[in-house]
Amino acid sequence: MNSNRLAASLGAAFVFTASVSTAALAQAPVCSAPVKVLAQPRDGLTLLEDSKDEFKKLSGASFQIDYLNENDRRAKSRADASTVGNYNVYYVDEANVALFASSGWIAPLTDYYPAEYDYADFDPGRQKVATYDGKVWFAPLTGGGDLMVYRKDVLEAAGIQPPKTLDELIADVPKLTNADKGMYGIALRGARGSGANVWRWMPFFKAYGGKWFDGDKPAFNSDPAVKATEAYLKLFKDSAPGTQTGSWDESTGAFLSGQVAILVESTPLSGMAVDPKTSQVVGKVGFLPPPAPLPGGGYGHGLAIGTKANADDAAKKCAGLFIAWATSKENEKRRLDAHQFGELNRTSILSSKEFADIYGADLGKALADTGKVTAVNFWQDPRWPDLGDRWGIILEELVTGTRTDIKGGLNELEAYANELVKKK
Amino acid sequence: MRRRSSLPVTFLVPTLAILLVLSMVPTLYAIVIALQNRELSTTGYSWVWFSNFADLFLDRRFLNAVWVSVKWEIVTVVATMVVAIGLGVLMFEVAGPRLRNFYCLLFIIPVLLPRVSAAFVWKFAYHPLYGIATYPYRLITGGLIFDPLSKPGTALFAVASVDVWQWGLFFAVIVLKLLETLPPQPIEAARLDHARRWQIHAYVTLPMLKAPLISLMFVKMIESLRSFDLIYVMTRGGPGVATETLDMYAFSQGFIESGKVSYASAMAVLMMIATVITFTMLWKRVQA
Repeated sequence: MNSNRLAASLGAAFVFTASVSTAALAQAPVCSAPVKVLAQPRDGLTLLEDSKDEFKKLSGASFQIDYLNENDRRAKSRADASTVGNYNVYYVDEANVALFASSGWIAPLTDYYPAEYDYADFDPGRQKVATYDGKVWFAPLTGGGDLMVYRKDVLEAAGIQPPKTLDELIADVPKLTNADKGMYGIALRGARGSGANVWRWMPFFKAYGGKWFDGDKPAFNSDPAVKATEAYLKLFKDSAPGTQTGSWDESTGAFLSGQVAILVESTPLSGMAVDPKTSQVVGKVGFLPPPAPLPGGGYGHGLAIGTKANADDAAKKCAGLFIAWATSKENEKRRLDAHQFGELNRTSILSSKEFADIYGADLGKALADTGKVTAVNFWQDPRWPDLGDRWGIILEELVTGTRTDIKGGLNELEAYANELVKKK
Repeated sequence: MRRRSSLPVTFLVPTLAILLVLSMVPTLYAIVIALQNRELSTTGYSWVWFSNFADLFLDRRFLNAVWVSVKWEIVTVVATMVVAIGLGVLMFEVAGPRLRNFYCLLFIIPVLLPRVSAAFVWKFAYHPLYGIATYPYRLITGGLIFDPLSKPGTALFAVASVDVWQWGLFFAVIVLKLLETLPPQPIEAARLDHARRWQIHAYVTLPMLKAPLISLMFVKMIESLRSFDLIYVMTRGGPGVATETLDMYAFSQGFIESGKVSYASAMAVLMMIATVITFTMLWKRVQA
């Protein structure tokens, strides 16, 4: 009897202890230290910082985001990920995801992305950009293609219809420039970089039939590249001041402050153009897909799990939870409520009634139409940033007139591409 | 018989040992890396010995960077010294003690600004449409646009002007203080001989300050070699490669474009050798 009682007591104690441990385990925080994030400034991330307590409650730790502008973020994340690995989460983009993934600097995201956060809800185009070698590497924070955003009042005053083709665009832009009145036909990107001037040049290259590689053989040193560069340089004669060595900030800044008639830029511009907080041209702006045959530049930026700072699975799960929470439907809804157009990535949000109420039907239609011509224009390879940046320097030299030989520049790039291929 | 004291050894050995470790370890590591073919994207590497150095001399951007660095060094050092001596002498001649103190305070402020902040401030000041520095040009020409940072002919001078703004004004304060420490007798003697003001400074005061002025020039020469932050913020080496100095190009190769850390190290090693040789020769020439 006593032994039975003892056994029963031990059993009960075991069950109690086990249940307490399970309960404790269930409530054990996922994160044991603050999540360190290296990113570039985004309104969505700034807004996210207001909800730090929510993440702390969810995971047991807070987070810290260090911001650097786009080019600096690329350089710093590359240096950090390949050496010390200080950051748990990296902001990556379409241009460097292949490099980061193939170098083992980031971990496959979906292995650590909690299922309840519904990764499949992201816009399919952005999911495609986040995928390399059959695996998903980041959760999108922004993305999309290109739109032609134009000043309805300026075009109307000049008696010009919005250009539907590239030839019309090239013909119309000089007619719209009136430098004395501070109006310029277009704004392009002149600053070096695979994500800067080369990004805006690539649709021209593709429109003229350009191709980066044929197998392992560089194929870009061709007539389409020369024609694309000539067209780009011709349009640059009517590009707003400051854009010759500027990038996204300078060209969109010029448009939003009312100095530019036509701008073909990444889709977040359209949201900024209709927001009175960022735009001086609200109510005067029209949207259309880029003039044919310019393809849109498909892109996507997002958050990925660093491998060096997250040495074990627990750390990777914590980083995965942060990324899932940061890109969750709830946080995206907050961005929509804050009218942060460029920060919206989920189909459930983009197709919602609230979205249509805020941004109107015109923009919705233009976005749907431009989706059909959005393409991946860059060379999808880990060596792309290297090649793209090299062309960026040459293109900046051509734009600013420190060199004039387009063919010479392409020959130089081809020699460099051959070196890259040999190293593979 | 004097007893040998161990005090100098006690103070010198630890200090020199720390200095040796801090300076020699990175230097030797840079030399070792320069002889390999390390890249950020791969963990493997092999010894390529002097191949990186040989490649550098066939690289048009490297040769351009050498030329830009030489131009940068000459422009910033000469302009800083001219501004410093000119303003220092002007304050000495024109301003009373209270006004001098006010100017000194004013002229020290730019150098107290972090370089990156100064670079951003001036980048906006040089904006072709909104910049305060380009405003007079727009006013005079009736609204014509002048974009000094995107013109190959003006970009280097525009960036150099910020460097001179910071260091030239600071050095002017030092020159003024040096002039104030000079004994008054030679200056009074020159005045009694009816020497003009510029003659007093050209033939009396400045020759008396030759040694400290040369020291100031050496300080500025070393400081000018570290121009990376200013150029990086204002032009990133552009337009094209018009302001791409050696340190800017080395960083670009190592971390922005290619991740070629060995190639970048080879540049750093060459820069170090060239700097040591140049400075040693100049120092010896000045002392001779």
